[in-house]
Amino acid sequence: MAASTEVTVEHEHGLHLRPAADFVRLAARFQSQIRVSNLTRGGNRQASAKSLLEVTSLGVDRGHRIRIEAEGGDAEEAVVQLRRLVESGFGAG
Amino acid sequence: MTVSLVVVSHSRRLAEGLAELVEQVVQGRVRVAFSGGAEDGRLGTSAADIRRALDEVDGPDGVLVLMDLGSAVMSAEVALEELPEERRRRTRLVDAPVVEGAVAAAVEASLGSELDAVARVAEQARSQPKLGG
Repeated sequence: MAASTEVTVEHEHGLHLRPAADFVRLAARFQSQIRVSNLTRGGNRQASAKSLLEVTSLGVDRGHRIRIEAEGGDAEEAVVQLRRLVESGFGAG
Repeated sequence: MTVSLVVVSHSRRLAEGLAELVEQVVQGRVRVAFSGGAEDGRLGTSAADIRRALDEVDGPDGVLVLMDLGSAVMSAEVALEELPEERRRRTRLVDAPVVEGAVAAAVEASLGSELDAVARVAEQARSQPKLGG
């Protein structure tokens, strides 16, 4: 099963450090393979959503649009939850 | 329980700065101890202070030790040799860049991963490009 979504990152620090760590921690709960790319920077390079260093290397700043793609048994749920995390401004944690 | 980290730097201020960075990412989920500077406060490393850091975060799931420059390895090895056998087996020196390795390893440890997996993530930090987003 495959699923994907596109979402704009509104967090003031983009997908850096703490928000990126929250993103990676959530992604790691899923069995599916999950990839992220930064559409605002061209979207050519895909990072594993489960690697902090890969995610932070995408250079996602506030206002950037990212694409989240998942493949596997829980792909749909992964995409929904990751999208929700980004939209929520990465909660309080 | 989770794997703990010890970061060894020649500079106390570098260690403190890295502590701040790592804490920002793991928000208390992982125990991280820092050993920075020589015993007289100058630049350097100290086996005794590394031992203090190891004691601070020791736990059954193990401790991963990162070092900033090659000469910190010697002090860390001395500290490791002086540990009781049981603790030595669950304490691992890892060959990794200290900033990227500490941050990536801390996140991996916060997932509840085992020592081998946390060490692997730290090692992989060496080949992870930063540019090209």
